[in-house]
Amino acid sequence: MIHLQKLFGLLRQHGVILSGIILGVIVMTFPIPRLTDPQTRTITLDARQFEFAPHRIHINKGDRVIINFTASDVVHGFYLDGYGIQERVEPGVTKQIEIVAERTGKFRYRCSVSCGSLHPFMIGELVVGPNEPFWRAIAFVSVSVITLIAYQFFSKGTSYEHTTLGTSPA
Amino acid sequence: MKRELLAIGIVVLILFGLPVGAFIYQRQQTSSDSTKRVIIIQATVPEAGGFQPSAIKVNAGETVTLRFSSMDVTHGIAIGPGLGIDLGHVDPGHVKEVTVTFDKAGTYTFYCNTWCSPDHWRMRGIVEVTDPDNPDAIPIAYHDPIIERLVAEGVNIDANVTMGMADHPQPDVLTFDQPPSIEKGNILAATLSIPEELSDAEWRLTHTPMEGLELLADKNPSNSMNDLIHVIAYLWVSDTRFEAIQWAENYFNQNCAACHGQTGDGNGPAANQTAESPVAFGDAAYMFGMRSDVLYAKIRRGGMGTDMPNFGTLLTPEETLKLVSYLWQLAFLAPNSGIE
Repeated sequence: MIHLQKLFGLLRQHGVILSGIILGVIVMTFPIPRLTDPQTRTITLDARQFEFAPHRIHINKGDRVIINFTASDVVHGFYLDGYGIQERVEPGVTKQIEIVAERTGKFRYRCSVSCGSLHPFMIGELVVGPNEPFWRAIAFVSVSVITLIAYQFFSKGTSYEHTTLGTSPA
Repeated sequence: MKRELLAIGIVVLILFGLPVGAFIYQRQQTSSDSTKRVIIIQATVPEAGGFQPSAIKVNAGETVTLRFSSMDVTHGIAIGPGLGIDLGHVDPGHVKEVTVTFDKAGTYTFYCNTWCSPDHWRMRGIVEVTDPDNPDAIPIAYHDPIIERLVAEGVNIDANVTMGMADHPQPDVLTFDQPPSIEKGNILAATLSIPEELSDAEWRLTHTPMEGLELLADKNPSNSMNDLIHVIAYLWVSDTRFEAIQWAENYFNQNCAACHGQTGDGNGPAANQTAESPVAFGDAAYMFGMRSDVLYAKIRRGGMGTDMPNFGTLLTPEETLKLVSYLWQLAFLAPNSGIE
């Protein structure tokens, strides 16, 4: 009985923190249902000094992406981080690159053939959505902040109660 | 004391051994064989100087190693005509070399075969091979029977009009809504009586498909013009060899596609930089008024004032004809098939 009472006491004292932790765990592990069916997308990606057009590609997990890769001025390359795909393209000759997006997140693609002075900055992004790690991180941080604020708020109330109780003649 | 000496020894070895080693390595790289000459050629975009050096003198029979490196962007290196040397891409920081023995006196051209700048087509260099016994000999002017015949006939190679169309009025019923189909032509050809001239490759070289169509229509009045178009398309690509097409496709993609487009749509990435918009070989209507020998001459001589460079100094006549046969493929096969 005493144990149970202690537990309830602890719950009352740290309930906010506890629920915060539980919510945090849920946020980090809750399986996000697939909202869209995987599909095949065809994208034209043009490389020129010193940019990719488009510089950001949004797709969903499981999508099959066929990239028609072209170059406008000099020879460029395409290297996709995390997938290890590498291609080079000559102006005038279209190269086809196929990607099956098995992993969510943001992956950079960069020019893999030295193409001039600003070549190292020729970078684009492939965003495979829903970007789970990103949204989970946002949710987790929000939950933590709300929990902390709530805890601060409630614990202040408790300590105030304690002081009143402590000074009372009872 | 011993340790100190050892330390000094190591320092001396690093300070002197490293540079000396590097020099020895470099000497070995450049002159491992004293009889063999190594020529270092640096490639930059034409705006920044092109090839340096851009002219090389070699004695006939001499073996030289040409070592190419790129200073800015990726270039492609090929040497012609008739040598069949294609080193492929030379990326900045990489070196590619070729060892050649130039047997005959004459002039060869090394050129960039990857679009590298708006002035890419100016990027050429010359290898002058002189006969050591007779160094002052001037090479005899090269005779090109096909071009000479065109000139004798009075055909204006630079004229920007499609031939055959004017002297042979286009029948009203002729439409090119659907690209000519080789398969259909092949099937139809067996059922028709084909005029003798049309089976003659030499005749087809010097006449337009339009002229061929008229001959065919005269012999087969019962067939519609649109059916006969397929037969003409079939005949014009009938004796093309697969190896020739493979070679020509690769050459076209490297040297022509940047302006004329990979599929011959005349809309390559550099198409908007030329003085005149590039010709679309994929346009069957245009090609029906075009002659093989005129295409040949345009490739070899270049187009005056159009920014079409000359390929006569890069290709042999046989190679040029292969390229022409590929242009007919583009006209009648693309985009609905076979060729990618």
